[in-house]
Formats: sequence, C-alpha cells, structure tokens
Amino acid sequence: MNEKLNDILSRVAVESLEKLAFIFSFPEEDNGDMDYDSAAAAGVSFTGPFSGSLIITISRQVLVELTSNMLGVNDGQETTPDQQEDALKETINIICGNLLPFIAGEQAVFNIDTPEIIAGADAIKNAVTDSDGRKPASSVKLDIDDEQCALFLFGDIQVVGGLVE
Amino acid sequence: MSINVLIVDDSSVMRAMILKTLRMTGLPLGETYQAANGQEGLDALEQHWIDLAIVDINMPVMNGEEMIDHIRENLEMKDLPVLVISTEGSKTRIERLQHKGAKFIQKPFSPEIIRDTVKGITGIGANDE
Ligand SMILES: [Mg+2]
Repeated sequence: MNEKLNDILSRVAVESLEKLAFIFSFPEEDNGDMDYDSAAAAGVSFTGPFSGSLIITISRQVLVELTSNMLGVNDGQETTPDQQEDALKETINIICGNLLPFIAGEQAVFNIDTPEIIAGADAIKNAVTDSDGRKPASSVKLDIDDEQCALFLFGDIQVVGGLVE
Repeated sequence: MSINVLIVDDSSVMRAMILKTLRMTGLPLGETYQAANGQEGLDALEQHWIDLAIVDINMPVMNGEEMIDHIRENLEMKDLPVLVISTEGSKTRIERLQHKGAKFIQKPFSPEIIRDTVKGITGIGANDE
C-alpha cells in the first residue's frame, strides 16, 4: 500500500507541476538526502476523515523557474523572494488539494490549512527526517533537470477505496 | 461592453496568474480588483461595481465559502456571478458551492477552461470566434 501511495503522490505532484508551471519532472529512485542548504520548503496541514500534513522541498533554482513560469515573466526578469515563497505555498496547496481525493475518495471533505514556509536547512531537515514515532506515510523524489524536489506525506493516512488505478 | 472583475485569493502569485489568463483570453476586461481574503473581497464589492467575482476557497480571515454566503444574503449583491477557482477536490463541497450558484474550476487550470467558463457565466464574447 505504501508503494501505491507513493505512486499516487508522485503522479499528482508531477501533473500539478506540469499544469501549473510547465515544470517537467520525473520520479526518482535515489533515496539519498537532498542538499537542504540549497533547498526551499513549505508545508500544509489538513484535517478531515484523516489528518496530516504534506511537505515539499525543492531546489532554489527550480523554485525561481517555477515562480517565473507561474507569473509568466520573461527569462532574466527577476522575481522577489516574497513571490517565490508565495509560489511555493500555492504549489503545495494545489498538490495537497488534488492528492486527498485520490486517497480518501471524491466525497470526502477536508479542511486544508494555510500553507507555511519552512525556513532554514535545519528546520527543513527536522521536518522531513524520520524521528521517533514520526515517519512519513509516503515520500517521493522527483528529478527536475538534475535538480531535486521531494514530497513527504505525514499522518494517519487511511486509504478509503479512493485510490484510482 | 466590458466586465469588471474581482479576484479574491490569498496567493498574490495566483491572483497574478488568473489576471494574466483573463487578459490572454481576449475577454473584454474593464476594471480589475484584487483581495487577499473573503473579508477584503466583501469590502471591495461594497466599494466598486463588479460584474464577476473569482473566489478561492482556502483563505485566512474569511474563506471563500463564507464570502459567498455573505454575497447571497446581501440584497444588493445576491445575484452576482461567482466563479470559484480552488484546489478543492471534494465532490461534496463542490456540489455545495454549485448549489450556492457558483461555477467551479479546479487548480491547476488551463486558459481555455477559464475563457469558456467566464464566457458562459457572463454571456460575453460568445460570438468572437
Ligand atoms: Mg488559497
């Protein structure tokens, strides 16, 4: 079931990034840690039939591209750090909103909180690394032009017949 | 004739994306206004003539569903066309919004779906092509 959950998470993330910002990504097998010093991260919590949170970590280079593409600004035109944080929060919000019906079924109602930025390499590492009693129900890595992006789904995730093959 | 549009979303990047998409569609846009939550959206509706409200659901202070409830209870705005653009994926909640007279588009969206839905709601630009 974990594999199925990973499969759903990576499919929803790949599709969302492509549709939202023309970012093309591919699921990656590599299980090594990401370089959190050059990464940005955001998380969002949700409550409903089950509760949990979804976290995205993404290389800053990709985040700059993601933000430019969302805003439709030309190459070379700069986006601000505020815009980049906003873009990352909206991205995790969109992935989360699209993911939950695949797990819990289309009828389930969830409340999704306001997404938050996780600032600093240590905080990101703490948020995503396994610790006592805290392990993601699902985690996937995506390759984006040799840059990394990872997603971590935490919580007491119950598959309620919502998984679409 | 042009349409005045209010865009309510807590993400400024998403508001810019929606505005850019509206401009791309060739719809006759008049004034456009932006608000970061439902309460700010209601304030903008009090202050300006608006033909279409585009509303997100998940927002701090006042969410989109509460904002729509306020609109429908207000004699002067109760017939305002509302388009919800949200990450919401729950059929139960989407149907509830549709019962409140709102159209629904899920994020991420394509420019075409925005164009066609706005044309459908406003009846504007239907003979353009
Ligand atoms: Mg929102």
